[in-house]
Amino acid sequence: MILLLLFVGLILLVAIDVPIAIALGAVTVIAVLMTSGIDALPNIALVLFTGATKFSLIAIPLFILAGAIMNSSGISQRLIAFASALVGFVRGGLAMVTTAASMFFAEISGSAVADVASLGSILIPQMKAKGYPAPFAAAVTSSSATLAVIIPPSIPMILYGVMSGSSVVELFVAGIIPGIIGGVLMMGTSYVIAIRHDFPVEAAFQLRRVAETFKDAIWALSLPVIILGGIFTGWVTATEGAGLAVVAAIFIGGVIYRELNWQRLRQAIIEGAVQTAVVMLLVAASALLGEFLTEQQVPQRVAQAIVEFTDNRWAVLALLNVFFLAIGLFLHSAAAIILVVPIVMPLVNAVGIDPVHFGLVVTLNLGIGQQTPPVASVLVTACSVAKADIWEVSRVNIYFVSVLFAVLMLVTYIPAIPMSLVNLFYR
Amino acid sequence: MTVPATGKYRNGLEQSLEIIMLFLMTSLAVVVIVGVGFRKAGAALVWYDEVASILLAWLTYYGASLAALKRAHIGFPKLVDSAAPQLRLYLVLCREIIVVGFFVLVAWAGWQVLLVLNGLYLASLPSVSVRFTQSVIPIGAALFIIAELLSFAEIWPALKKATRRQLE
Repeated sequence: MILLLLFVGLILLVAIDVPIAIALGAVTVIAVLMTSGIDALPNIALVLFTGATKFSLIAIPLFILAGAIMNSSGISQRLIAFASALVGFVRGGLAMVTTAASMFFAEISGSAVADVASLGSILIPQMKAKGYPAPFAAAVTSSSATLAVIIPPSIPMILYGVMSGSSVVELFVAGIIPGIIGGVLMMGTSYVIAIRHDFPVEAAFQLRRVAETFKDAIWALSLPVIILGGIFTGWVTATEGAGLAVVAAIFIGGVIYRELNWQRLRQAIIEGAVQTAVVMLLVAASALLGEFLTEQQVPQRVAQAIVEFTDNRWAVLALLNVFFLAIGLFLHSAAAIILVVPIVMPLVNAVGIDPVHFGLVVTLNLGIGQQTPPVASVLVTACSVAKADIWEVSRVNIYFVSVLFAVLMLVTYIPAIPMSLVNLFYR
Repeated sequence: MTVPATGKYRNGLEQSLEIIMLFLMTSLAVVVIVGVGFRKAGAALVWYDEVASILLAWLTYYGASLAALKRAHIGFPKLVDSAAPQLRLYLVLCREIIVVGFFVLVAWAGWQVLLVLNGLYLASLPSVSVRFTQSVIPIGAALFIIAELLSFAEIWPALKKATRRQLE
């Protein structure tokens, strides 16, 4: 009965726009008061503190900060110039450039919203000026940005790793092949649309131009190689790699490119801190709810109920896909991971799904959720940059969301796609 | 042009929280980088993990107050935005009461914890009291309440005005 009240209360509070972190905390406080009385209340303060002190989560503010610093350092223009030299000669060149630059940027930022805000503000106006319809420009930018959640480093993957107890490094490695497949399929989709609508091409391919733009972007491109290389080879942990990313970002932005000044750095730090606090308050509040649900053995009961229905792992994956796609429509990806992953993990383990494989499934589902209204943080940002109506953009975006869905199906039902590199290097 | 009193308080709180954020975020990055350096040099720092984790908790709660001031916490405003004008006012008010009420409870619970933590010190840094590190919960909760009320004082008159216009 208390559990039912808890979930109904949570839905009600979220529906009246109480911030999700506070809704989680408030319903748990009421549940604790009903079950254990006021004497148990001080324990809430202790759990809220310890819930925010998980060492592995320190990677989140540091990656956010590194991304914000790089964003303020002229890196976007250099990545776009290099991507343009590489793929701009193809029909619909600017759309190709958008996807390629998003893939490069994803290796630095780890956040799809940062990706779309940074690249979209440059590329969407350019596309519109060259005759691409605004809804198409917003759709290709928005969907390409979602690659940031599967291409390492990825903030949702760090959250998933902590919530599920999986290796963040293995999750990062598992995202490489699906990220590349997603990027290539998106470019293919853009090409087909570009042929149909006769979108323009950019400058002809010139090896000299590729070499020049590569030389200009080499520091930006070397950053992910150094950081991810350090993490993948085990030289540093994900958290330490994030710390090094900050140092490298300040060095490249301030010393090499000389575009980072104190004002921009200050702004980047504050923006990074606020984004971190928003996610971390959710994490801390979920620790409260998680402790209560564990005491009530809810995750185990959910797992048992579903296993009694079916213990076929492909059927369970299908059920979980539907579930995550549905909650992705209404919940921010961080909130969805924090709320749902601890509840479904006993089920995932019970039917023998590899937690790293499942991490990719969850991340992709929630990546699709970033593109599907009503709650679609990345799509909304792209629409706002393009000054385009969200429903018109969604009509075009169906093609790109279908690509993401195809990647999800490949990742779900051919585990070798995400797991082959993990098995090759770590198991 | 004169700035309303709440605007002055809001700006003051925002600037103070931004300075705290700059300090905490920079400290966190420095601690992690120094920690890596010492570990690679074969002289791992014993306090590195504990101090970095505490800085993250402080960043969380002081940053959450700044996010409240900027109304940046993740929510689901679609239903409230599409509600009838008068109902929307009640829902917004209801939301504020729940948010402030929750943090009043957290502040009280955090204070109770501080009272019983007297005499406890960090395992890796015996000169730092646990009371000092845990103080972020009651202080952070109090700051959150102030930030929430100041930002509410800013949006409420505009919301009322918009509602009145819609009803006319």
